[in-house]
Order: sequence, then C-alpha cells, then structure tokens
Amino acid sequence: MNPKKYFVIIIDDHPLITEAYVTALKYYNRHNESISFSIDTAHDCDSGRQLINRALKSEKHSYIVFLDINLPQSKDGKILSGEDLGLLAKKLLPNPKIIVSTTLNNNYRVHSILKSIDPEGFLIKNDITPLELLHTIQTILKDPPYYSKTVIKLLRNQVVNEFILDHFDRKILYELSIGTRMKDLPSILPLSNTGIEKRKKNLKRMFNVKKLDDRQLLIMAKEKGFL
Amino acid sequence: MAQSCVNPPKKTAIPALLSINDSVAIWISASKNTSFTLGQRKQFLTKAYHFVKAEQMDSLQLRKLTTIALQNLKLGDTTLFKTRTTEALTLATRHNDSFAMGDAHWNYASYYSDKEVYDSAYHHFNSATTYFEKSDYISELAKMQYGMAYIKGRFKDYSGSEVLTFMAIKKFKNIEDYESLFFCYNHLGQLQNDIYEYDKALFYYDKAIENLNKLENNGYLQYAVINNIGDTYLKKGDYPRALQNFNRLLKDEKLKINNKGNYARALDNKAYCKLLMKDTLQVAKQLNEALRIRDSLGNKSGVVINKIHLARYFTYAQDSVRAIAVAKEANRLADEIRNSRDYLESLSILANLDTQNSITYLKRHIGYSDSLQVIERKIQNKFTRIAYETDEYIEETKHLAEQKIWISMLSLVVILILGLLLFIWFQKTRNSLLLFENDQQKANEQVYLITLKQQEKLETERIKERNRISEELHDGVLGKLFGTRMNLGFLEIKGNKNILKQHQQYLDELQTIEKEIRDVSHKLSDNIDSSQISFSSIIKDVLENKSKLGNFKYTLDIDDSIDWHQITQVFKVNLFRIIQEALQNILKHAFAKKVNLIFEIENKNLVVTVKDDGVGFNSNQKYKGIGMKNIQSRINKLNGVLTISSQQFKGTILTIKIPKK
Repeated sequence: MNPKKYFVIIIDDHPLITEAYVTALKYYNRHNESISFSIDTAHDCDSGRQLINRALKSEKHSYIVFLDINLPQSKDGKILSGEDLGLLAKKLLPNPKIIVSTTLNNNYRVHSILKSIDPEGFLIKNDITPLELLHTIQTILKDPPYYSKTVIKLLRNQVVNEFILDHFDRKILYELSIGTRMKDLPSILPLSNTGIEKRKKNLKRMFNVKKLDDRQLLIMAKEKGFL
Repeated sequence: MAQSCVNPPKKTAIPALLSINDSVAIWISASKNTSFTLGQRKQFLTKAYHFVKAEQMDSLQLRKLTTIALQNLKLGDTTLFKTRTTEALTLATRHNDSFAMGDAHWNYASYYSDKEVYDSAYHHFNSATTYFEKSDYISELAKMQYGMAYIKGRFKDYSGSEVLTFMAIKKFKNIEDYESLFFCYNHLGQLQNDIYEYDKALFYYDKAIENLNKLENNGYLQYAVINNIGDTYLKKGDYPRALQNFNRLLKDEKLKINNKGNYARALDNKAYCKLLMKDTLQVAKQLNEALRIRDSLGNKSGVVINKIHLARYFTYAQDSVRAIAVAKEANRLADEIRNSRDYLESLSILANLDTQNSITYLKRHIGYSDSLQVIERKIQNKFTRIAYETDEYIEETKHLAEQKIWISMLSLVVILILGLLLFIWFQKTRNSLLLFENDQQKANEQVYLITLKQQEKLETERIKERNRISEELHDGVLGKLFGTRMNLGFLEIKGNKNILKQHQQYLDELQTIEKEIRDVSHKLSDNIDSSQISFSSIIKDVLENKSKLGNFKYTLDIDDSIDWHQITQVFKVNLFRIIQEALQNILKHAFAKKVNLIFEIENKNLVVTVKDDGVGFNSNQKYKGIGMKNIQSRINKLNGVLTISSQQFKGTILTIKIPKK
C-alpha cells in the first residue's frame, strides 16, 4: 500500500523553528511508514501565501499547515499575521489540518484564533517539548484536535466563568490592554463613544470593579482569562 | 411863580414789621406819641435801640435799626441819627443785606434833602436805588427814582428828571400806588410849568388829581395840586381861571384850620393874581395875612415869595421905598435859603426900583445867574457822574459776578475732567491688573497643559519602548530559544544514560528560561492604562504629596459615575488648581490631621468637598487672601458656587458646586 501522502506547509519566521518541525516530522515518519510527508517551509507571509497558492494548483489532497501567528506582514499589506494565512488556507485548501504554534499567550488572541481558524492543533510554544510535538502530530493525524496545556487552561477558565462577553467586549478589553486611548476606540470599533463607554461600564460591573480607572478592570479581565 | 409843595419821599416806619408783641416796636411807637415830652421820646428810642442790639442781628433787626435812626431824625437828633444810620449801614454791609443797605441810604437821602444838601441826597438816593434794584423792592426803588427826579428837577435837569419820573410812574402803576403816582404826575406838572409848557403842566396836574381821587383820604394834597393849577394859569396869564382856582381853595373852610401853609399860599397867590389883574382891593391885606401865616409857620421860601409879591404890590402902588425895603428883605432871605430863582427875581425888582444901585443889582443879577448856571451845570455833571459811578459799580459787580460764575463753572469742569481722568486711570489700572492676572493664569494653565501633554508623550514613548523590548524578547529571543530547544531535542544524542538524562535536564532548563523570558516580556508589556494619566490619579498624587508635607492623613472618594473623559481639559485644569489651592491653604493655615476630599455628582452638578479638622477661621471675615480669591475666580469661571463653613478649632468645610457641561 502506498503510504498516505501529506503535504506539509510550515510557516514560521524563525528558520530554527521550521527546522525543528521538519526534524520532528521526519522523526515521526521514521516510526510510521504508512504515511509520508512532503514538506515546504516559508518564513514570512508572502512566501507562506505563495506556498498555499502553489499547493492548491498541484491539486494535492491532504494538507498539514504549521502556522506561526507572529509573522511579518505581507508586502501588499493584505496578510497581517499568521491568522490571516490560516484563514486563507482554510478557505483555499480542502480540509487542511492546521496547527497553530505560537509564543502568544494572550488569552484574547488565543480565543479569537480559536474562533476564527478553529485549528486542529493549537500549541503554545513554551508548553511543548519534542515529545509533545510528536504527540501533536500523532493526534492531529489520528484524532484531532490537540491543544497544548495553556490553551486548555484558558478554555477551562472561560467555561467556568459566567461572564458572557461578545466580540466587541473582548476587543474593547484587548485594545485597552494594549494602551489604546478611549478617544481612538471609535475609529477601531464600529461603535460610538457612548456605546463604548456603556460597554465599559457594563464590563466593570460584570467584573465587579469599583475603581474608576481602567487598570483594575484590565487586571480583573486578565485574571479571568479574557486577556 | 411855582412853588413846590411836595417834598421828596419822606420815610415813615414800616408798620408791617412792627407787631404788638415786639417790645422794640412798642418803644418806637411810644417815641412817636406826641403826648410824651421830647426827652421821654428820645429815651424810648434809646431803649428800642438797646433792645435791637440785644437781639441776634438779622434783616428784621436791621430794619428796626434804620427805623430807629429815622425816628431819631424826626425827633431832631441829627447826631444820633447819623450814628445809628452809619451803624445800620455797616451792619447791613456786613450781613450783605441789600435791602437794609438801601434803607440806610434812604435815611441819609431823607436827611440831606431835609437839609437841602441835594448833591449828597442825590448820591444816597442813587446808592439806595442800586441796592433796592438788587433786591427787587419795586416800591422803594420807584420812590428812590422819584426822589432823584425831584432833585434833578430842582436843578433844571428837566429831561433827566422827566425820564426818572416816568420810570418811577411805570413801577408805581404796576403796584397801584396811587399816592406816589399823584406825586409823580404833580412833579411832571411842575417840570412842565418850569419850562413854560403850561398846557402840558395842566394835563399832568389833571392826571395827578385823577390818581388822587382813587385815594380815600387825599387830605391836603388836593389843596396843593389846586394851588399848582392856579399857579400855572397865573403863569400862563389866564388870570380869571387862576383866580377861580384860588377862590375855590379859599372857599374851603377847613383849609384855613387844617392846612395853613396851603391857605397862605392860596391867599398870597390870589392877591398876586388880583394885583396882576390890576385889582388892588384888599390885596395888601391879603398879602400881609399870608406873610404873617407863613412867617409863623417858618416857611421861609413862602415868605420870600410873599415878600416879592409885596414888593411888586408896592411897586405897583408906587411906594418905592417900601418896595425896595421888602425886596431887599426878600433878596436877603432868598440868599439865606439859597433860593436862586427868588434871589434873581428880587434882584431884578431891586434893579428896577433902586435906580441908583440898579447897575450894581444888574451886575449881581448877571453874575449870580452866570454862577448859577455854572453851579447847575456842575451839579448836573455831578449827578451824571454819580449815575455813571453807580453804573460802573453795577457793571463791575455784574462783571465780578460773571467772572465768579465763569470761575466756578470752569473749576467745576476742571474738577469733572480730573475726576473723569482719575476714574479712567483707575479703571485702566484695574483692567490692566486684571488682564495681567488673567494672562498669568492662562499662561500657568498653558504651562500645566503642556507639562501634562509632555508627560503623556513621555509615558507613551516609554510604553512604546517597553513594548518594543517586550516584543523583541517574545518574538525574537523566545522563538529562537524555542527553535534551538526543539532542534536540540530531536538531536539523536549517543551516550550513556547519564548523558541523555543531562541532555533532557538542559532541555527542561531551556524551557524554564523561555518561560521566564516570556514572563519578563509580559510584565514589560503590562502597561494597562498607565499611558492615560487619569485625573483621579493626578488628584491622588497631589493629595499624597501635600499629606506628606502637612503630615496629615487623607481620604479620597470619587463618585464612580463621574466620567472624567467627558469633562474638558480646561475644566479639569481649573478644578485641579482649585483643589491644589485649597490643599495649600490647609497646609499653610489649618494644621489639620485629617483631610477628606470628596467628588460627587448631585443634580447634574459636580460637588467637590474639601474637609479638614484644622484650626478653622471666622468665615464671616471679609478679608480674603490671594488663595481664596484665586479659588473664587476659578469657580466663577466655571459658573460654580463656593461655600465655606468654618468653626474655630473644629475645622473647615469647603464646598464647591460646579455645573457639569
């Protein structure tokens, strides 16, 4: 029987990391001969997009995409991060297995990536060891998904919490956390100033924050895993 | 031959001034009572004088004084009269009482016309005129003018006299003083008589009678005017009509008893008239009777005329010796009383009679009439001069008064202008001071805002830098470390168990390092909100600072619902300054141990309360320090209200209410 062939696209801006993934895949392949990998690597958004487009043309059918999130954005400015590449891959490739592997541990971003890409594997780089990486490959091939420990913790936290935060609430919290000014928020969010104020007040009540300044709110949001 | 029967206006006491209760008045009226002896009456007057002097000198007392002086004159005490009048005049001048001054001059005028010193009399009449004119006493003024007219007439200044008389008539008509009008018209008649305008004279006498008829009690005046009319007819040469008039008088039985003067005059004139009609029957007897009566009355001018008539009679009777004798007597007497007209007439009679000495008499006649003319001219000139001097005086007074008005007006204007200038200057200084303060305040705020912005900018930059480092650590270092660790993990290391174990340990170590770096990176990027220097944090900083300086504890309560982002920067700056100032005051004066600062929202107003437990002060105190003034002015700028309640040694509560915009 011909080994099942997977076309693997590894996108990460650090060659060391792509190399590590390649090594891991090869290592896995050595022990599982029923499959074979055809591996391509890219180190930025542009070449990542090229790889995805090329793969589509060659009409190959099984794809694994290793995706970093923090990537230098594409030259035409259309692809801002790995998240966009993930969405592109999901849109263009038939049933790809996407493994997001990132150093991010910002809960908001993790959450939003989970929502948008819904990857088969979600790894926080600090969590994983070579063994775990192998385990990830094994799991997504056999029975996805595989989330690393931090992601699981986050999910658990959110399940336990009663807070119901919609996309905008999360975005407000996120923007505030990265130091965006209140007066600039209306240009980022499709909300009016008063609308944002209202949501903020609501958030404060929800997180039981009395203090006037936003710091406490953000601290609470972080504690509860929304940031 | 005209003879005046009416003298210049004599003064009589003014009854209105003399009330019954007035002891002065009583003494004065007692002095008029002829039932007392002259000595007693003089004593009464002296008493009246002392009473007047004892009183506070006012215009009423001054009038009394002049009345007393006049009464002295009437009692024949000319020295006392002069003393009193001089005193009255001095006092009147001192009190600037122009009526009393006029009155005193009138006194003098009466005195001098009695003494027939007409130039002095004229002078005083003139002065009196000036004062009465000033004080608008029309009746008195007209009387003075009449007096002057009378004197002028006497000195043949007929036109001048006429003018003055008409002036007086006009005034008398206004006040309906018929008696005075009678005198005036009578005087006019006499003037016309003197210039041989007999028809005109008769016309005026008629007018005089007309006015006389309006009086209830016309007394002897009627006799006088009828005498005058007869005189005029006599002069005119209409002897029958003259005779008719004289007879009419003499028919009146009462005349002989009541008015001997006029009776004698009528008798004399009738006899003379008859003589002129060449009817000598009883003429000598009548002339002599008239002469006797006049002599007994002491009427010297009457006697002179009478004697001249007698001389003419004797001439007619060709008894030249007696004629000359009588004429000489008349001449001497006329000279004595200085009646120039009769003197000249007697001289001409003498010249005709005394053929031996006729040249001497003629020479004397010519010489005298010449000198008379010179004297008359001189006196007329004197009158003119007096009038001129008075005019000049009036002019000068007017000029002075005008000058006074001008000076006062000018000074008023100058004062006004100065006041205005001062006011403007004051306002300007105040405005510039305010402007300066305002500018300074604005500048201060600008500086504050700039500092705030600068601080924000700095903070932003700092955060950017931190984020950059954080990102660098996170994305760069961490990624590389991760890659290295992974690759190391997949390296197939050959060696004994120990080495493999060590290898794994190092890998774990690397993972820990990664974690640490990640934590550092997170902490670096953990800049939540610190880029936004919130107002409350600034307030807290200030409070913290001051509390350290003043060694007091503090609480800060800020209402959750205050949305600082919605409040303008200027509002916040002002509020900040107010709080800073208030805290400064507490620091300086209150020596508080605890300070509460509360921000609340109350009916759309922002209410800030600064409470301390310091020494407090008297809140009614008017004086405000610069600090309080600053607070007040800032609050005013924000349309707010400041209330301060303070109790000595219990602390102060400062409440600021500002409408939220």
